[in-house]
Amino acid sequence: MIEVNNLHKSFIDKKNKKNTVKALDGLSFTAKDGEITGILGPNGAGKTTCLRTLYGLLSADEGFATIDGISVTDAPLAARAKLGIFPDKFGLYERLTAYEQIDYFASLHGMSGKTKKQAIDQVVQDLELGDLAHRKTVGFSQGQRMKVTLAQALVHQPQNFVLDEPTRGLDVMSTRILRNHLAKFKAKGHCILFSSHVMQEVAALCDRVIIVANGKLAAQGTPQELCELAGEQNLEEAFVKLIGSDEGVAA
Amino acid sequence: MITSNINFIQLKALVVKEYREAFRDKRALMVALMMAILAPVGIMVMSKIMIEKLVDEPPVYVKFSGAEHAPKLIKHFADSNLLDFSDVPDDEKSTWEQRNIAIEIPEDYAVDMAEGKPIKLHLQADFTDKAVQPPVRRINSAVRSFSMSIGYKRLLLRGVDIRLLNPVKLVEQDTAKPDATFMLISMMLGIYLMLAAFMSGLSVAIDSSAGERERNVLEMLLCQPVSTLKIVLAKLISASTVAVIGVLLILILTSVSVGFVDLTKIGATFSLDLSTAAVLLLLLLPICFFASACQLFVAFQTKSFKEAQSTVGILIGIPAFIPFVVSMMDDRPQWLNWLPIAGQSMIIENIFKGVDVDWLAVFATSGVTIAITVALVLALAKKLQSEKVVMALS
Repeated sequence: MIEVNNLHKSFIDKKNKKNTVKALDGLSFTAKDGEITGILGPNGAGKTTCLRTLYGLLSADEGFATIDGISVTDAPLAARAKLGIFPDKFGLYERLTAYEQIDYFASLHGMSGKTKKQAIDQVVQDLELGDLAHRKTVGFSQGQRMKVTLAQALVHQPQNFVLDEPTRGLDVMSTRILRNHLAKFKAKGHCILFSSHVMQEVAALCDRVIIVANGKLAAQGTPQELCELAGEQNLEEAFVKLIGSDEGVAA
Repeated sequence: MITSNINFIQLKALVVKEYREAFRDKRALMVALMMAILAPVGIMVMSKIMIEKLVDEPPVYVKFSGAEHAPKLIKHFADSNLLDFSDVPDDEKSTWEQRNIAIEIPEDYAVDMAEGKPIKLHLQADFTDKAVQPPVRRINSAVRSFSMSIGYKRLLLRGVDIRLLNPVKLVEQDTAKPDATFMLISMMLGIYLMLAAFMSGLSVAIDSSAGERERNVLEMLLCQPVSTLKIVLAKLISASTVAVIGVLLILILTSVSVGFVDLTKIGATFSLDLSTAAVLLLLLLPICFFASACQLFVAFQTKSFKEAQSTVGILIGIPAFIPFVVSMMDDRPQWLNWLPIAGQSMIIENIFKGVDVDWLAVFATSGVTIAITVALVLALAKKLQSEKVVMALS
């Protein structure tokens, strides 16, 4: 379970105080176990800042975030051990093969020996990476890179997944694989939090949707509830309406 | 038990990954080890040039007339590389024709020699010509030594102790500072070793810090449940391993290559035997770690790969600069012994001078170097927890 409570974060420009950006302005939400929670928000709404605070890369000015009840600021390592991360900016170690890279991240989570090998083989099989596994990642396409990054995030079967726009650049087949994968983990009782821009995907996959605008929670609920709240037929229209009229609806 | 096990698994994975990346980057590795390969070549060439300069006696071609009267004298000249003009190679013919050095041996040389009468050899040349002066000087000393050796023999035959001829003798003892003659070679080697310790691990250190940030893999790594101390340690281990390999290569290649240069010609002895090499390695090991720690510390705090390269480039100036300054100082303050680089370079200088190793100084300077390295690593591990360094915010 991931809980975010009243997060505030500003990026201060030392030279020009006017350029200070208030990325998070009291954001709170909860992502429960056994559910897929989607974060929706326009560009610059504070989604990535919020997720980085969750990883412990940024420290919040105010408020706190917990993962399975562990505070990310007080015990970052213990909190991260419960987390699988697909970050906003990601790269690959281009001199390693896909397999070595997944192995590396599995070891960082303390796996070893047979368990580790089985876990890697499993995730390679699940994400259909078999053909690529023993090639160096240097020439990989965007989609292949995404898959390797997903594999290294999922290999230790974390209780909580955080995925920052995981489907950008994936083809239809790979998107389906990912969706099935997430659904399977959801069924096993994992907590999945992901941000996306693709409305159909969010509508089809998410149990709950959190709409973020200007660093604040604009609205939350099931896709159906959000549509009803905005009085629109589809989620896209509802989304536009909700972030446009935040005072009225979010209250 | 379980936590220590996890610590070990993590550290091992980090180190293995750093090694893989470092040793698979063939081009960077080649550049790093280039220095090591160039070292013995440079030392060979330098010593060769130095020897030539010091003991150089290029052939001088003299127009002898009446050479047939004094075969022994001619032979003595030939031993001193003073040759007959008829032997001059074609490409130098015009030069020696122009210098036109002539020696006239009188007809009655053999008779006068047998009778013990003074013999006059006539040397003709343009004494104002600068190019002629060194040959003339050499002819002069060749004639004097030849004449002396005959004179000594004559006195010996008459039962006179020839030592009577030299009541005062000047004994020359060269106490030249290291900037003189061959000491320069070993000084250069000392500086070179220091530079190699700094340079060899450089590309690996930058690549694994600023390079990783630029490739967006650092952020990913810092989101994992690993302490930043382990991350820094792994990167330090891989960068300094490459540095140690560089230093080792230099030591091995140099000790092999100095065997090909005959330094005894200039009265110098320079050997890099196993025990010397071992002491040098022991001295340079902490430097390798210290250098990599400095580079990582700086590179992690730069905003881009390029910035890292140029900033760390300045760092390399230190090992080259300090030993030079130290070697030029006449009054060396005591605290210099304790400083990293300065301390080691003074000990290395002493080793090459043939002075016994001051083990206390070795351990003191190594200790200080290691302490600073540890401080750098801890500080860097702390800095990597701050969002400013992680996200490269100003």
